[in-house]
Amino acid sequence: MSKKVWLIVLAVVVLVVLYAGGLYNSLVKDNENINGQWAQVETQYQRRFDLIPNLVNSVKGAMAQEKSVFDAIAEARTKYGSATTPEAKVGAANQVESALSRLLVVMENYPQLKSIDTVQTLMVQLEGTENRISTERGRFNDLVKTYDAKIKTIPANIFAKIFGFAERAYFESQDGSERRQK
Amino acid sequence: MKNKALLAITAGLLFLPMLVGAYYNPGKPTGFVNDYAGVIDSQQKQALETKLVQFEKDTSNEISVVIIPSLKGDTIENFAVKLFEDWAIGKKDNDNGILLLVAIEDRKMRIEVGYGLEGALTDAQSYSIIVNDLQPAFRANDYAGGISKAIDDIILATKGEYTATQNSSKNSSGVNFEWIFFLVFGLPIWLSSVLARSRSWWAGGVIGVVMGIILIFVFSLVVGMIASIILGLLGLLLDYNVSKSYGKAKATGGVMPWWFGGGKSGGFGGGGFGGFGGGSSGGGGSSGGW
Repeated sequence: MSKKVWLIVLAVVVLVVLYAGGLYNSLVKDNENINGQWAQVETQYQRRFDLIPNLVNSVKGAMAQEKSVFDAIAEARTKYGSATTPEAKVGAANQVESALSRLLVVMENYPQLKSIDTVQTLMVQLEGTENRISTERGRFNDLVKTYDAKIKTIPANIFAKIFGFAERAYFESQDGSERRQK
Repeated sequence: MKNKALLAITAGLLFLPMLVGAYYNPGKPTGFVNDYAGVIDSQQKQALETKLVQFEKDTSNEISVVIIPSLKGDTIENFAVKLFEDWAIGKKDNDNGILLLVAIEDRKMRIEVGYGLEGALTDAQSYSIIVNDLQPAFRANDYAGGISKAIDDIILATKGEYTATQNSSKNSSGVNFEWIFFLVFGLPIWLSSVLARSRSWWAGGVIGVVMGIILIFVFSLVVGMIASIILGLLGLLLDYNVSKSYGKAKATGGVMPWWFGGGKSGGFGGGGFGGFGGGSSGGGGSSGGW
């Protein structure tokens, strides 16, 4: 009788240990994937960041009276450059985004700019970068979503707590910037 | 209370457009050229296909032309990224795929460039191909002509980037060895693939339990019962996992997981189209309309 009980206990323990080990490994892997995806987002931010001075310089001459827009862009760029934590970076990146979209709106009033080849090329590049950002950001959120759901459901939530896996934060972005990734 | 209900309805209405304007998978790729809208005739399609097959052979770059009737409310950027993801255009190691997507009713086109070709075909180049090759031809209703010109320019821009690697052909030796190999590795894989293809996600568990019950007769009741619990759970887990990943791979038409015995070879056999190679893109390229 006691032998039977012990065998069953042993079987259950083995199963639990196998499950917990597998879960631990998969959560570590998920976390690494999320970090990698975040790096992708940052790469695209950097790309946008590098494009902005070129665009600003090529349109500044024709738009001299729109000083406030350029000031806002410069300020947001400085802020992004000095941001260290992901949260600060997201905040600064959002600020860059809104300043940039203001510039693009104002540029509509200067149709002669669009016929300049350099400006046209820069606009296309900027457009491509914005699309890359929203793509990578959408993928980041997808990964976080799956991961968060995983560590919040039974029975993984118990083990996630024991191992110390915390929920990851979504990418909160400004209205409209997420329009391409639903 | 009333306010809450109103809020819920408003929220529901706000989310409605998101549900309506969703990406849909147009189907499995049948070649490099997929015309779901029927705007190019078979002769022109064949010419394009031959060109793209040859290009893939020479450089390993995979260029896919997809013409859909409508985006059904989605943006062309989102549609292109999702379709690229689903079909996995380009080789897995190089991400050297390009998708030329045309939506007829929406009068929109996009060149989506895989990660590995972003340097060779920049956004600005994609834009100029759209403006100079596609727009004028599409405005004249010459879809095949515009696409053919665009493909020529894309090939010109990307041909130096990668070189094709020879697929080493498999040579089979001793039959006995293959039999042992099959029993050790093949049988579990075959079982997995059968379980995966079966509709159920639980049959593996049943097989496990049955095997345990057989063990009751071979050994003792206790051993058999414990074995049936463990085998049942393991079988369930195995079946659930393989069924899930098979379903995913099948739905996307992508590369089958390793355990999928007797599936796609992954390469290009006799020079025709054998499926895309598992590449990915990240929103590079350019869009336009006509």
